[in-house]
Amino acid sequence: MNTRHYYQWGGKVLLYGVLFFFIYLMVLITIQYIPIDYEAAFLALKQDEIQLTHYRVAFFTHVYSSIFVLLLGAFQFSGIIRRHYSLIHKAFGKAYVALILLFAAPSGLIMGYYGNGGFYAQAAFCLLSALWFLFTLKAFLAIRARRIQVHQNFMILSYALTLSAISLRLFKWLIANTLALPPMDTYKIVVWLGWIFNLAVALLLIKAKQRV
Amino acid sequence: MKHHIFYLLIAAFCTASCDNLIRNPQGAVVDERDTMTSAPPETVPQQQEETAMNDSDPHPDLIGFWVGYFLNAADDDYYEKSVYGDEGLSWGRENKINISIDEIHQGRVKGHSVVAGNNRPFAGTMTQEGNQFIFEVAEPGDDRYDGRFSFHIQKNDDKLTGTWNAYKKIDIPTRKYELQKKRFQYDPELMLEPSRRYGDWGKAKKTAIEDEEEREAFGDFYVQFEAATDKVYEVNASTTLLTKKDVENLKKGDLLIIRNTIYARHGYSFKNRPLRVFFDAQPWYIPVHTDIRSDFTELEKKNIELLLRYEKNAKVYYDTFGRG
Repeated sequence: MNTRHYYQWGGKVLLYGVLFFFIYLMVLITIQYIPIDYEAAFLALKQDEIQLTHYRVAFFTHVYSSIFVLLLGAFQFSGIIRRHYSLIHKAFGKAYVALILLFAAPSGLIMGYYGNGGFYAQAAFCLLSALWFLFTLKAFLAIRARRIQVHQNFMILSYALTLSAISLRLFKWLIANTLALPPMDTYKIVVWLGWIFNLAVALLLIKAKQRV
Repeated sequence: MKHHIFYLLIAAFCTASCDNLIRNPQGAVVDERDTMTSAPPETVPQQQEETAMNDSDPHPDLIGFWVGYFLNAADDDYYEKSVYGDEGLSWGRENKINISIDEIHQGRVKGHSVVAGNNRPFAGTMTQEGNQFIFEVAEPGDDRYDGRFSFHIQKNDDKLTGTWNAYKKIDIPTRKYELQKKRFQYDPELMLEPSRRYGDWGKAKKTAIEDEEEREAFGDFYVQFEAATDKVYEVNASTTLLTKKDVENLKKGDLLIIRNTIYARHGYSFKNRPLRVFFDAQPWYIPVHTDIRSDFTELEKKNIELLLRYEKNAKVYYDTFGRG
């Protein structure tokens, strides 16, 4: 193995290490809601909404499905798995698509409608879940039509939005620990920044990929 | 081989406890037992606040609340005993005291004092020398911080001047004071005045630990606080029913002060030191009660619960990796 390969390998390990570390933190956040508890964590500030049955269903659907979406997606960009274990790629891919289209995105839309921070923040969440649904559906339809290039591009966009779960919380952590803004001001920034930033990175990635 | 070690390291890193990254473990907020809205008040009746003016009492002017700072009498160790916070915050260990003279009958005096969350009875004598009433009263002695008061009041004056000496060897064994006659009445309209900044006492932690006297009495109450902002002068949680919108953008320190201002209006004597120092500086504030659980209005109870909810959330989640 030459040096260049070694660095590539190291870079990948680092990237996956960071990704799985944050997925692990998301698992810890999810565990707070097991068993079902209407007072836990984020729900402490959603006491009016949690009285509504449809909100309740949406919230727990979103929390329990999204963690698997995050995890499944993490394996889908590996060339090794795609080439040598294509059955795994297909199975994980189907589960990823089904979980988003049937559970995570629709429940996200309902939650977005009741989001904290007023119209401005609610619009961000609703738009996010609509785009998430759209990109995932497009990617799915593309692979049914065997258009691999298009499938890849939309999956990059889809997973970029999936990762907004992490980036939103990371931006919030950054702002709270540096600028120390009041909580709702911080929130109104990260509800947009959390996924626009990811989308921009994804588009740059797609562009770079096409140039190669 | 190297790669395997790398994987192992990552695995070890991830399985190590990362829980404090998503929530702060010390999430408890300052919520003293005697201010809780849910707990029933103790059956022991409160000391009467202001004894009804007895017509037969020969000294109606003397009966009532005498309020002011209970100062360290030893000038030489003032700086040594002081507590310092950041950005020039300092505190010379003075607390606001309320000496309540409840009853004078044939030269015998009964009363109580409220200071730093401590309500103690006293009894003793009053003698008149010319235009001056001289009081010598003593606390029972079964509390570590009991002692003897001697003070005097000029006839037709609203000033009470005197000293206090502890029975036991405690950190500040002698106090002096010059108190004003005050009437206490719960007024929900009272608002904070910008008289003393509420600040971060975190850096004073070391002093608190060394200060064995206070720690024994009240526990270690030094918690890292956010400083409060000007929002605390705008929100009145005793007259306005607060909604989510009113509180969701408030930081920890503001939530804490807005909630505790309700307690201050009811004359709650704060055990928590940073809160006490802050509220003592409010000109209208009088420490009257050590238990105010049965005094809240329905509106205040609702606000306290809402504020506590947001405060707890802010404490646990404000600066962590998470949404809250």
